[in-house]
Amino acid sequence: MNKTIIININGIVFHIEEDAYEILKNYMTDVKRHFLNSADSLEITGDIENRIAEMFSEILTNENKQVIVEQDVRNIIDQMGRVEDFDEVYDDEKSAPNNAYNYNTGERKLFRDPDNHLVSGVCAGIANYFDIDPIWIRLAFALSFFFAGSGLILYIILWIVIPKALTRADRMAMQGEKLNLQGFKNNLEEELSSVRNHLNNLQQEAKPLAYKLRDFIGDVVHHLGLFFNGAGKILIKLLGIIVLISFFAMAIALVVALVAFLGFGEGRYNHMFPFTIIADEHASRIYIVAFLSAFIPVLFIILLLIRAIFNTRSLNMSIGTTFLVVWILALVMFITYAVKASANFKDGGSISQTINLKAAPGNVYYLKFNDVKYLSHDDSLRLNVKGQFNNMTIENDDDENTEPQNVTLHVERSDIKQPELVETFRARGRDDEDALLNARNTKYIFIQQDSVLKFDDMLRRTADDAWHGEELELTLKLPLNAKAIIDQQLQDRLRLDGVNVYDCKESNKQDNATSAVFIMTDDGLQCKIDTVVIKKTPAQIDSTRNANNAKAIAKLQAQVDSARRVDSLQKHK
Amino acid sequence: MIVENTQTQMRKGILEYCILSIIAKGETYASDIIAELKKAQLLVVEGTLYPLLTRLKNNGLLTYNWVESTSGPPRKYYVLADEGRKVLEQLDITWRELEFAVRTAIGDRNPPNQQETDNNE
Repeated sequence: MNKTIIININGIVFHIEEDAYEILKNYMTDVKRHFLNSADSLEITGDIENRIAEMFSEILTNENKQVIVEQDVRNIIDQMGRVEDFDEVYDDEKSAPNNAYNYNTGERKLFRDPDNHLVSGVCAGIANYFDIDPIWIRLAFALSFFFAGSGLILYIILWIVIPKALTRADRMAMQGEKLNLQGFKNNLEEELSSVRNHLNNLQQEAKPLAYKLRDFIGDVVHHLGLFFNGAGKILIKLLGIIVLISFFAMAIALVVALVAFLGFGEGRYNHMFPFTIIADEHASRIYIVAFLSAFIPVLFIILLLIRAIFNTRSLNMSIGTTFLVVWILALVMFITYAVKASANFKDGGSISQTINLKAAPGNVYYLKFNDVKYLSHDDSLRLNVKGQFNNMTIENDDDENTEPQNVTLHVERSDIKQPELVETFRARGRDDEDALLNARNTKYIFIQQDSVLKFDDMLRRTADDAWHGEELELTLKLPLNAKAIIDQQLQDRLRLDGVNVYDCKESNKQDNATSAVFIMTDDGLQCKIDTVVIKKTPAQIDSTRNANNAKAIAKLQAQVDSARRVDSLQKHK
Repeated sequence: MIVENTQTQMRKGILEYCILSIIAKGETYASDIIAELKKAQLLVVEGTLYPLLTRLKNNGLLTYNWVESTSGPPRKYYVLADEGRKVLEQLDITWRELEFAVRTAIGDRNPPNQQETDNNE
């Protein structure tokens, strides 16, 4: 079984097999190119086409068949003769001087070399002429392209002006014999005049110029085609393979992720955002549909790429349809789950509770971060009580950082003498009741140890349920003039509202300190800027401090210093 | 190469003379001309003929008529123009002169070469 093509020669339709057509087309292209320099080219090629059509008709009637096959075309070409065989007779006006020339010298002529071409054979032709390796000419041209494209223009001019070596005689003249110096000179003059003639012809005769241009454009297209068939295709394929590899990597990553989540990853990633909202009972189903809705398009792209690059039919219709259906189902399920999950966030609810704190001696409060890792609630509480700064404590590891920062701390002025802490739990749910329940199912660990207030950075869910946007807002109310020494770590781990430990440290030029001192004023908590410390050198500080001992502010300062000393002592342990 | 060129030159002139002679017999179709030329072993491939015919036509030696064909496309039937007839008469004379010249020049060498006999025809 063979594919046939329908062709039309001078108004007569023929069915011709594909490979036979290719041969015929190439032959006719050769013929047309051969007669290009002739003003009668259209008529001559028309006659030849006509004759071919007639021979086709004869073959079809004589052999009583319907389709022209390869052998028929070959027979016809044999009868018509190859392009090379045309030359001997049809070298009319031009041939006489050429032949005379050939008698005398046998020297080489400048032709474009169609046998050894990279683009159009200009470089190879020049190289033939000078009997050197074409690579040097090509290199020179390639370099000259960079001089404002001058080489390119020269190349195109040469392409138009230098004739292509079509005939055997041309080729022989092109290869020639080795040039001696005298011959070289003669030849060069000969060539120059021939090129001049060529140019004159171009200018004088409109018709040949049109043919020349047609030939040139045809040549350009032909060679561009060759380029894209060759180098260009390879480049595009390489690019395609790179893209293909990256998509493969993506597919593999998706599979690994799925296995990880389904197998043993669940607990580990529960704290990260998109996974926190997934209710556990649906988890594996959601992972699978999410995987499918991402994996199938990737797979599809891979198959398409393979098909494009390797020219294979890598996907049949039924498999493709199945994939499409599965993908749509997965996508629908995924959207359903997403809607369901978001429905769990419909309503909000909050509960508040107030914890009365003990007034600290000297009205000084140390706000610290509770950097104890809680193994379990009971365990952690016990550990915390026992060994706050001992080796027994287990520090929070970095994984916990991925938890949404859902604890906010404000420090406000208290209306009463007693400090207090207001904890406001917020959560969302599918209705108000659910939201309130979710808010209640949380636990926060706050510890007061005399003047030290320890804040945890995590709001814990007591029920092992999905995340519902739980938030905690802490409002610490301190009495007027109370001093708050806030640990830098607290700033790092919690959302501190209206207070910036780093700014305060900088204002006091104590960049190495781990905490900053704030004072509760009527306008809220303010950074205590120690003007004395900034102005004086450390050696002067003590004396200045002694002089100002009477003042209340200095009294406070002394307390701060002692507190710091205690702090650093504890650290050194 | 020299031999090839001489042959080409020789054959070229004779070919035109022969084509004109064939057409002079009456309205002729290209494939008939080829058949005759093949019989005379002067031409082996058809492709060569068309440029020659076109050139002779352009020089005003030939004209052609389109004739509908029962099978295939319409055919060009060539006839000799008046100019062509005159040229042919001149060529007849030239040929006779040439034949004499060649025969005289070769003398009784009687070359066995096929190529030479071709040219002498």
